[in-house]
Amino acid sequence: MRTVNVSHLSKSFNGQNVVNDISFDISKGEVFGLIGPNGAGKTTIIRMLLDIIRPDSGEIRILDDRFSEETKNIIGYLPEERGLYKKLTVIETLVYLGSLKDRDSGQRAIMLLEKMGMLSHKDKKISELSKGMQQKIQVIAAIINNPEFIILDEPFSGLDPVNMKLVKDLIIELGTEGKTILISTHMMDQVERMCGRIFMIHKGEGVLYGSIDEIKASYGKNTVLIEFEGELKNIKGVKKINNSGNYAELILEPGADAGDVLRLLASMVRVNKFEISMPSLNEIFIRVVEGT
Amino acid sequence: MSKWRIIAKHEYMTNIKRKEFLFITFGFPLFLFLIMGISFVFLGGLTGNGENKIGYIDRTGLFESSNMTKYADEELARKDLLDNKLTNYFVVPENYTATGKIIIYSSRNNLANNMKIEDKIRDFLIDNLLKNEPSYIIQRVKNPVESEYFTINENGVKKEETGFTIIVLPIAFSLLFTLSIFTSSSFLLQSVIEEKENRIMEVILSSVSHKDFLKGKIIGLGALGLTQIMIYLIVAAGIILINPLALYLIVSQIHISIPLLAAGIIYFILGYIVFASIMAGVGAVATTSREAQQLAGIFSVAGAFPLMFSQFITLDPNGSFSKILSIFPLTSSTAMIMRASVTDVPLYEFMISILLLAVSAYFIVEISVRIFRASLLIYGKKPTIQELIKYVRQN
Repeated sequence: MRTVNVSHLSKSFNGQNVVNDISFDISKGEVFGLIGPNGAGKTTIIRMLLDIIRPDSGEIRILDDRFSEETKNIIGYLPEERGLYKKLTVIETLVYLGSLKDRDSGQRAIMLLEKMGMLSHKDKKISELSKGMQQKIQVIAAIINNPEFIILDEPFSGLDPVNMKLVKDLIIELGTEGKTILISTHMMDQVERMCGRIFMIHKGEGVLYGSIDEIKASYGKNTVLIEFEGELKNIKGVKKINNSGNYAELILEPGADAGDVLRLLASMVRVNKFEISMPSLNEIFIRVVEGT
Repeated sequence: MSKWRIIAKHEYMTNIKRKEFLFITFGFPLFLFLIMGISFVFLGGLTGNGENKIGYIDRTGLFESSNMTKYADEELARKDLLDNKLTNYFVVPENYTATGKIIIYSSRNNLANNMKIEDKIRDFLIDNLLKNEPSYIIQRVKNPVESEYFTINENGVKKEETGFTIIVLPIAFSLLFTLSIFTSSSFLLQSVIEEKENRIMEVILSSVSHKDFLKGKIIGLGALGLTQIMIYLIVAAGIILINPLALYLIVSQIHISIPLLAAGIIYFILGYIVFASIMAGVGAVATTSREAQQLAGIFSVAGAFPLMFSQFITLDPNGSFSKILSIFPLTSSTAMIMRASVTDVPLYEFMISILLLAVSAYFIVEISVRIFRASLLIYGKKPTIQELIKYVRQN
């Protein structure tokens, strides 16, 4: 069953196509990644999914129905640009935002605050909370209505590692509860770990769509992942090195032999791990954006 | 509960507790009363609740007074003035009957008291000059005109009131009326800008439609404005009940009647909708609160126009200027109330004015919703006039 069906969606601002003939589906219970560089049109797609802005053409169906005001009640949303009412208390904020989703959300607010370790702050004003705490309140607000479909726009931005783990665990838990989740983010490693399928948009056009494994397979096994000690330099047969210090992703030239590369590597650095792999989503993302 | 009601309730409950609202609702009228009270007390002090002891030197030999001290020698009068035995003295020169000239001396210059002294001297001179005339002649010379004005139209003859209160009370009433409209609509502007700046707008709009969002805000803050007017009316009723003079002024000088109050409520609601919708549009278009205040200021000046020209409206309520202001939608709500509280406005003028205001309110709401929808989430860039026109046409 499809939770979301986007069909031939287009939107332009001031004569410029921001989203051009986009189509994708999201199945029920799926964690779906919407990726793309800055200004690609991701937030515009999300706003159209929420009926905050209307498409110029195309159609959006949520749970096989056309968008209505009731549809908004089954969607949870964490926007990239975040903010809360500074003068309201935590509980007032959550109850108000829940009531706008047609839910009496007092009990759920207490439960979620407890789960996120924020219950003791429920009567504090938002302005009295740290930035990290405010982020947690926003995450809670996004799911206060126990939504069927959750849209998370850059859910990890501005989070410290502890809160990032908390949010990641929450997303996994929501996924296991059968919620449909759309994550829009730049963090390719997170998308790769959490999402089954992705849709990539670049300059308003859909450029990649499908399961991550299939997409990676389509780019071939021309990647070597290594764990090493020493200084990595240019290697014959390697087109590109994505160096992360002790780890690196090597993109091989067409026809290059992985065994030859290993021999050359061994003469240069101490190799602790060597794995022939498909390219990472990050590498695919860069290739698509750079047009290589 | 429908979503616009939730938003309306939220706006009402949040803003009624605001310090700004409490100050404008209770502090401003209190401030006005204080200023009026202080000026009455101060003016009372100036005009000398203390006795004026007046002396005179008559060089014509025509004048006698039972309550002023007559001096033969001006030096003696001057000495008594300096010794505070007199507050003033005046000299009637020999050629007074030819010139009317009187020289008055005071220990200190006080304009208000001078007028009072002059009145006493005038009565003294008239009493002496006409001492052989009957008292009614003397009274008529002192006060020759007691005027009453009537207007005659197709409805018959109606007495028109004149005087100080006829200007001050309608202006005060209109001031509070305008204040309520502006308070509510400026709260709406602040609320939109605040939600835009702190980025919660997007979360709200993911839950409610733009129309419900605006409707909730306009109704919630409109109810706040009506609450403010109710508070003003209750305070005014309290003053009338404890002060018979105020009751007399209201009943005799001002045409405040139940139909006028009903018209006032209609004008408040429509006038408020017009300004609130404009403010919502301004809030959606502006990129910062400062820019919003500047844009809003342009419309606020238009709204405050009747107050700036309130004297013209109250002194000549049936003049062309007053009529135009009471029909033009941005000024009609205040101008018409001001006019109607001092004169009988023909029913057809009321109808035209309310109809125009209602039609304008409808279109301004529609335009604002469209601009709101199109430009609300565009941060950092103010749309051009051409873009705004396009937004209005597109939606």
